[in-house]
Amino acid sequence: MIAAVLSGFAVALLAPALAKRLGRGAGAVLALYPAALFFRFLSRVPAVVAGETPSASLPFVPELGISLSFRLDGLALLMALLVTGIGAIVLVYAGTYLEGHPRRGPLLGLLVAFLSAMAGLVLCDDLLALFAFWEATSILSYFLIGFEREEAEARAAALQALLVTGGGGLALLAGFVLLGQAGGTLEVSALAANAEALKAHPLYLPALLLVLAGAFTKSAQVPFHFWLPGAMAAPTPVSAYLHSATMVKAGVFLLARLHPALGGTREWVWVVTSVGAATMLTGALLSVGQRDLKRLLAFSTVSALGSLTMLVGVGTPAALGAAMVFLLAHALYKAALFLVAGILDHEAGTRDATRLGGLLPLLPATGVAAMAAAFSMAGLPPLLGFVSKELLYDAALRASPLPFVLVPVAVGSNMLLVAVALTVGFGPFTGPRGATSKLPHEAPVAMWAGPALLGFGSLAAGVFSGALSPFLSAAASSALGHPYGVRLELWHGFSLVLLKSLVTLVVGVALYRGRHRLRAFAERFAPLGALGPARLWRAGLAGLVSVAKGTAAFLSSGSLRQDVRVVVVAAVALLGPLLLSRGTFGAADALPSVRPIEAVLALLVVAGAVGAVVAGSRLSAVVGLGVTGYGIALLFLVFGAPDLSMTQFAVETLSVLLFVAVLRRLPRLRSRSAPRSRAVDAALAAAVGALMAGLVLAVHAGPLRSRLSGFFAESSLPLAKGRNVVNVILVDFRGLDTLGEITVLAVAALGVLSLVRLRLAAKGTAGAKEGGR
Amino acid sequence: MTFPFPASDLLVILPELVLTQLALGILLWATVVRKGREATLAWVSIASLAAAAVLIPVAARLSGPLPRAAFGGMLTLDRFSIFFKVLVLLATAVTILFSLKFVGTSSYPGGEYYALLLFSAVGMLFMASGTHLVSIYIALELMALSQYVLAGYFKRETKSVEAAAKYFVLGAFSSGVLLYGISLVYGAAGSLDLGDVARSLAATPRSSLLGVGIVLTASGMLFKIASAPFHVWAPDVYEGAPTPISAFFSVGPKLAAYAIFARIFFVGFGPRAGDWAPVLAASAALTMVVGNVGALLQQNVKRMLGYSSIGHAGYALLGLLAYASGTDARGENFGLWAILIYLAAYLLMTLGAFGLVVLLEAKGYATESVDDFNGLSKKNPLAAAAMLVFLLSLAGIPPTAGFVGKYFLFSAAMKAGWPSLALLAVLMSAVSLFYYFRIARAMYLVEGEGELRWREEPAVAAAVAVCVAGTLLLGILPQPFVALAKSCLLP
Amino acid sequence: MTVLLALAIGVLYAAGTYLLLRRSAVRVVFGLALLGHAANLLVFTAGRLVREGPPIVPPGALAPPTPSADPLPQALVLTAIVIGFGVQAFALVLLRRACQEAGTDDVDAMREERP
Repeated sequence: MIAAVLSGFAVALLAPALAKRLGRGAGAVLALYPAALFFRFLSRVPAVVAGETPSASLPFVPELGISLSFRLDGLALLMALLVTGIGAIVLVYAGTYLEGHPRRGPLLGLLVAFLSAMAGLVLCDDLLALFAFWEATSILSYFLIGFEREEAEARAAALQALLVTGGGGLALLAGFVLLGQAGGTLEVSALAANAEALKAHPLYLPALLLVLAGAFTKSAQVPFHFWLPGAMAAPTPVSAYLHSATMVKAGVFLLARLHPALGGTREWVWVVTSVGAATMLTGALLSVGQRDLKRLLAFSTVSALGSLTMLVGVGTPAALGAAMVFLLAHALYKAALFLVAGILDHEAGTRDATRLGGLLPLLPATGVAAMAAAFSMAGLPPLLGFVSKELLYDAALRASPLPFVLVPVAVGSNMLLVAVALTVGFGPFTGPRGATSKLPHEAPVAMWAGPALLGFGSLAAGVFSGALSPFLSAAASSALGHPYGVRLELWHGFSLVLLKSLVTLVVGVALYRGRHRLRAFAERFAPLGALGPARLWRAGLAGLVSVAKGTAAFLSSGSLRQDVRVVVVAAVALLGPLLLSRGTFGAADALPSVRPIEAVLALLVVAGAVGAVVAGSRLSAVVGLGVTGYGIALLFLVFGAPDLSMTQFAVETLSVLLFVAVLRRLPRLRSRSAPRSRAVDAALAAAVGALMAGLVLAVHAGPLRSRLSGFFAESSLPLAKGRNVVNVILVDFRGLDTLGEITVLAVAALGVLSLVRLRLAAKGTAGAKEGGR
Repeated sequence: MTFPFPASDLLVILPELVLTQLALGILLWATVVRKGREATLAWVSIASLAAAAVLIPVAARLSGPLPRAAFGGMLTLDRFSIFFKVLVLLATAVTILFSLKFVGTSSYPGGEYYALLLFSAVGMLFMASGTHLVSIYIALELMALSQYVLAGYFKRETKSVEAAAKYFVLGAFSSGVLLYGISLVYGAAGSLDLGDVARSLAATPRSSLLGVGIVLTASGMLFKIASAPFHVWAPDVYEGAPTPISAFFSVGPKLAAYAIFARIFFVGFGPRAGDWAPVLAASAALTMVVGNVGALLQQNVKRMLGYSSIGHAGYALLGLLAYASGTDARGENFGLWAILIYLAAYLLMTLGAFGLVVLLEAKGYATESVDDFNGLSKKNPLAAAAMLVFLLSLAGIPPTAGFVGKYFLFSAAMKAGWPSLALLAVLMSAVSLFYYFRIARAMYLVEGEGELRWREEPAVAAAVAVCVAGTLLLGILPQPFVALAKSCLLP
Repeated sequence: MTVLLALAIGVLYAAGTYLLLRRSAVRVVFGLALLGHAANLLVFTAGRLVREGPPIVPPGALAPPTPSADPLPQALVLTAIVIGFGVQAFALVLLRRACQEAGTDDVDAMREERP
């Protein structure tokens, strides 16, 4: 089963070639793959309903106890059937919808790959694998949304969706890692088995919040809902698939999946329920102001996702049962409506709801399918939407936190959604003919068959809802963590719930009749929308960029001096406090007295250094350097280091010669810096000097405990037959280091040579420059 | 300490000795090879590196059971050092492949260039083995000096000379800082042998001197791995140097520096982990932010990769921190092997990305701007797909090596009690999506103007293919790599 | 004396750092040279100052007289001096080259000249 699911990635690679060879039939051929998967999953239904959970596991990193495990329980099966079933329909549709499009092949391939990733996501029992598939869906959706790459809007929307969902995905990863820490495993089933300990763990809350951040971004919950309407820039089959039936459901799916392990706590119930309710209301309110069919559907999807989240948040058996039924109902009708919107766009040349009307005679099949879907969405009996809405109201009514808030939110949102449903699926086909640019006619059968099938599904599932009970009960039981039976019935008897359904319908229809006024009213509030999170998001991105600009200007202007300044400041800031706070400056181990010769030498060194700084000419600066160098050589001599002294003399002499030799060719010294920058540099330099002087004093505050010097001193003559211990160390004990040192010098010489030789080679050009100097 | 050293100690450094000899030989040979025939030198250099790689197991077999200390404890040959030696040789060999065309078509003498790369590799090999602060310092200088020369080697490009000057000044500065740190540690611990240092530190009370010594040493190390606040050189140098050199700098020296960083701090300063961990934590946080936020703005691909490699250095620091907090439930040093895996992943994906920059030529030169990638998916779907793999890996998206490495590192940081840093790392990974996907967007969603040209360099293409395969393999089947890394830990 | 040397080292560092921050590339190289001197003196001083004499084993003895100077820091400084020289020579030539390429020795101007 796993192999079958993952082989989709390979199938996807065939798509471009298939599209080239088969033309419009490519979609239908590719659809055979998900269709086969669909029937395979369907054949598992009896076993899963009977309580079996087929599972498989592949070792990944056994050292860390990580394996990739997959599990087919009721919830996974429901999602897998939706993903493969609707996937097959969408592929058939897309093959025709994109006829003649130059990049039809890649799009079909991306859709198949997405299908595989999504199926993998719903099947895995392991959080790490889940994360992998999760990010795969985000990345693939990036390319799917940005598919119309000529449109800047599509590219921007793609990036926005990727950043929101991909970034949320990374939060999810952090949450999973924390869960792994807290629960000791990454397997969902094992986490659920250990739920009580997990919920008491101190890491529970941070893990929960991170996981929720991931789920909410993916499922477009407030305040992250803005990416979903933007994503409507995708081709319509993509929207139908990703943005109604599958990807956006991933967040809700994850919440349901983790509900047995993490759910039921006060934090869970409050956060998830309130975010869900807020999203439900926000989506419904924002949808009525739209004219574009796809945007209408997008906002109503936001609202539907909100109600699903709310139900999972409430977490009672009734609520989870209602959630599963609604998951199915919504996928069926919303995918159908998106596909219908695509047909209208294709045939009538517009998606503007105000310009579409009276199309039923021209597009009878599409119209009937659309109406079935719209009536299901509106909650008209005997469609599945009606059953689902009854269960939703029932659950909300019996919800533990604040039924008096949830019920008005649910009823109010649904009233608006009734109007939206009718606007999208009923309005375009009834009433007077609208002013469309081209004369519409019925779509090819490959396009209307899908919506028709889905619409018929809504009807059949409603009429025979009783037969679905065991299957949806299995799904609800997986989300609950214990067996539970959902009762799906068309007729519950006269009850408060039925009354609410009736009121919803009546008010909804009234709202639909006054939809133009409603929209005009809502459009007046459109400027408010500019203050929403989308704007915050843009402002946030802009802020990030400007922060980056600011820090980049400060931290790496690219100028060497600025870079040195940064480093110097960092070093002083790092070490200064350390030295001051913990340092003891003393001279416990120092020489207190000063001999005149020593004082003179120290002064010489200082004078040379100062001279090099203030020198106005190159030669006097070199003289200053030389004075310092020779002064140090004499200091070495005075303090018992004749070898150092000799070396220093030799090296210093060479250096001065070198300087003098090159000096003639160097530019003259000029003072260039402004007084202010000089003052700053002087202050920095003084700080460095003070720091280092302090360091020397701190070094001498304690005694030196050299372990090795004694060894070297004692073994020098016996072992190495040498009397000068320093020399012995260099050539014997640490001969290897000296070898390295020689190599270093050789490399330096090589560098010098390569630079000098090239100058000789390039004399022609260089000479001209020098002549001008 | 034993003395005199047994001659078998020379076996321990057999690969290094042979490589040095071969480098000198190439240098001599170069004086008689005409320009235009220099490709032979390149292949000989690669063969030399391969020879050194082959000699590593030979040296390990001949010189006795591992870990094998040599030269009175100056060097050691252990599996940890072998791990890094192999990576370093690989990085150097790939760099030579990348350079073939560039050096071949330029007027610069190639022999010295390849010899310098080999000398640099020798320095890095010694770094991987060094267990004495002075040996480490000298090996570091050998590597660094070769690199100063390399940075400025192609000096007719003004950018290259400027980059070299900057690299040199800041590098010399950092070597100095490291040297002070070493001398202060000597003052406090009375020894420069890492084992002795550790024993001495465990026995002595805290002292400011030692603290300063450790911080200075850490600063020197942070410099070499380009971590904030000592990262300033990296973007300019990567941008300014020719692409093969940038590729080399962002991988080879960093790997070697991580080897000594880990060894000095775990083996030598381990007993004082409590002192240095906060310093590294602060640097890690700053590095991740500076690298990733800095990369946001870059239009130049090499500069962007430069910044992003700063960000990656920050992630890798998390692993060092995790070590400081001890071992995991199975008694294994989780942090350390997380770094090993991460560095291997980093090598593959970074070299791969640079390789594509080398291969794709726009406006007569290697790709510079993100816009140069426009429409690549159409012109060369394979190259675009390979780049996408590297980008996904750099951003840490499964199923790639970058994800596996990041996952282990972040887990290690969480386990070690630095959850806030791990979360910051996750946040910064989200930021990194933004800039990595600018390249993906250019390749897939923007129509190209037709500037991009594919350079016919089968050797480089093969290297890139290997990197793609490695990136995916490590991402999909990490198990063998994990087992390998676990056998290469420090004692 | 230690205090005096500490001050001298401080001045060397300050002077070196100041020169490193100049716009004139020649001064930058001078600064590097001064910093090199400062580092050598620092390491040397850290190994403790003794007036007694060099660590040389006198004829007839098996070890140098105690007290004598600590040989290990001396060896370290010797290494540093030599490496420092190599580095300095390279620095000078690099500087020469950079000035020639950029046509100026202004470090900031080198920056701005890039395309």
